[in-house]
Amino acid sequence: MSARLYARYPFLEAARQAVGELGVDIETLIAEGAPAVDRGRKRVERALMAGRVDAEDPDEWRDEDELLSYPIARILVSLLDSGAAIDKYAAAEAKTAVERLQEDFAAGDDGLRSTTTARLDRETILDELGLSGTIRPAADHASREPAWFRVELGAYLRLAGDGDRWRLVDREVADGEVRIEREELFSLLGTAIRRRIADGLPFEGLTEGEGIVEPLESDLGELRRLLSERTAVGRIDFVNRALFPPCIENLLQKAEDGIELEAFESFTLMAFLTGIGMEPDEIVDFCAESSLDPEGIRYQTEYLTDDRGTQYPPPSCETLSAYGICHNEDDHWKTASHPLAYYQSRLEDREEELVDWRADTNAE
Amino acid sequence: MDDATREYLRERFGDYYRQSTVALPPAANEREWGHIPWTPGTGTTMVRHQSQLDLGDVDDFLARESPRHVYFSAARYTDPSASTMSQKGWRGADLVFDLDADHLPSVDPSEATYAEMLAACKDALHRLLAFVEADFGFDDVSVVFSGGRGYHVHVRDPEIQDLDSDARREIVDYVLAENLDTDGLIRTVSAGGTTRRVLRTEGGWGRRVHAALVAFVDDLDGLDESAALERLTAIDGIGEGRAETILGAVSANREAIAAGNMEAGGPGIRLLADSLAQRVADAESAPIDEPVTTDTHRLIRLPKSLHGGSGLVVTPIDREALDAFDPLVDAVPEPFRGGSVEIDIDEPRRVELDGDITKLEPGTHTVAEHVGVFLMARGEAEKV
Repeated sequence: MSARLYARYPFLEAARQAVGELGVDIETLIAEGAPAVDRGRKRVERALMAGRVDAEDPDEWRDEDELLSYPIARILVSLLDSGAAIDKYAAAEAKTAVERLQEDFAAGDDGLRSTTTARLDRETILDELGLSGTIRPAADHASREPAWFRVELGAYLRLAGDGDRWRLVDREVADGEVRIEREELFSLLGTAIRRRIADGLPFEGLTEGEGIVEPLESDLGELRRLLSERTAVGRIDFVNRALFPPCIENLLQKAEDGIELEAFESFTLMAFLTGIGMEPDEIVDFCAESSLDPEGIRYQTEYLTDDRGTQYPPPSCETLSAYGICHNEDDHWKTASHPLAYYQSRLEDREEELVDWRADTNAE
Repeated sequence: MDDATREYLRERFGDYYRQSTVALPPAANEREWGHIPWTPGTGTTMVRHQSQLDLGDVDDFLARESPRHVYFSAARYTDPSASTMSQKGWRGADLVFDLDADHLPSVDPSEATYAEMLAACKDALHRLLAFVEADFGFDDVSVVFSGGRGYHVHVRDPEIQDLDSDARREIVDYVLAENLDTDGLIRTVSAGGTTRRVLRTEGGWGRRVHAALVAFVDDLDGLDESAALERLTAIDGIGEGRAETILGAVSANREAIAAGNMEAGGPGIRLLADSLAQRVADAESAPIDEPVTTDTHRLIRLPKSLHGGSGLVVTPIDREALDAFDPLVDAVPEPFRGGSVEIDIDEPRRVELDGDITKLEPGTHTVAEHVGVFLMARGEAEKV
């Protein structure tokens, strides 16, 4: 295995050992403000904002920084002291890992066999997750990734999702195993990886501002600011585009002009639409004539609302202004410092009868 | 139940426990224990949250206390005697299935005799075991006659110990064929730019429905055309046109149907599969009592203890001996055989037990002790 491989899959046990073998200790990295610390913060930031952890600027980082950023990210997430943040971080690590696995399995399937040691094969990841005897190909094809797998019933029940497609009653169950398709394997692996990542988090015994984590103060401040932008806006469940704040309207128009939104922009837009009570399917319809693709919308909105009911609201006007998205139009900061609050106040100010966009479309 | 009857039963249960050994579950010391004593009145108070440490030796405890009912938890705990579930420290639970004649759609409890109920329940047990053994492939399965109106199946396979309630509900839904719908049993295969629908034939309900479909098609083949059409058009939604398309596929494209192809035979074949799915679900599902399986803190009757509502033994059954097992003979407690007891009854009673049928008119009778105990435990007779 190679440094590149560990950089891509830093949660592997072998990667953990590789960190040890590098002979650097985390304390020193943190004290020196090494690049891995910077990358670690970005890792968490991206997890919370975009639901993934791959670097936006991969050429900036050495494999070693990538690898070392993982333990740093875990320390940062632990210090955030938020169960929801840990859940989202773990889901984001798993999402990126699964995308890499899909690439790697496909590369192993192109007939060239493994051309680089940076790729992870199916047996290795199954073994790593303690699933090697539990998930097996339904049939052996020497050179190709099989189309079907069989999963032991217990493991299937532990790893399957909640949706109807996973209901056991409709599944092919025989001799204690459940048949799944290749694509479904990735979903099960994603769950297993997410649990592996979340396991052991938060770290015990870390106190912000003390000991080895003292130098992380400013990184934490930035992450916490992202988190604290959950503002106390009352529950909104009304969609009327004419009253959207200007920043959101601008983002919508940009997307409708066919321009690809930056990650931060689409996060802001999706968080706003979710925050005003829209379901993923409704958002897909709402943004049908735009550069946003349905799959991306679904993915992003699913992680914005989690089943505990905590939501990630869009960033505040101040943060949006730093990104050049908010320009304090109509001096609205005086009355509302947040897009959701701004929208809510506009809804309340409006005197004539308003129509919810959803009622309008449903009636058609 | 009057005091004399209750005291008699309590003493005789104690005699049973002094002569018998109950079947302790594995890790008995990690389980919660509960029992219901012989107390006056109709209310039952369960003494629970006890550990084996509280009871001491279980056989001694039972001989001493002679309870009316005895239970242990399907779950194992770090501290089984803690009074709240969160303090107990859950460590896993056996998967338990409960079949009770009360839940059998084919049985009307006000009409059927006890023997008939138990026979219907045993049929359901065989269906349940087909899932447990062939589909789920569970190891470490034990079957127990509940002493009342049904059977319990305990699965102790390590594979299932840590499953949560939601996961167990998936298993329950599977056994009940709950919300089984043919759409879910059909998957879409894309190949060469076209898609086709095929039944999931490699296991589960898909395989069962497919087997029924193949058998149905075989039957059609043996009929003349008008009889075959009649058979098909009897199904909701299948008119003459669709029936003819299906018959066409049966003669021209039998292999496709045998392979689970849901295109051969037109839309009618899917209506046929729908109708067969419903029939198969009704015929092959096992009506287990859902909460018993999904509740991971449930208490279950202790095998080899006595059921206080029948005076019969909660009887573990060897898998090989299941076919020959007759609850009305094999669950009669040995110490109650041979003796007799004088009882008083208000209504005519018919008791089928230990190979004999005892018919009694209202009044006072001397009957075989196991018959007397049975009637008294059910509250249908009083001790004289």
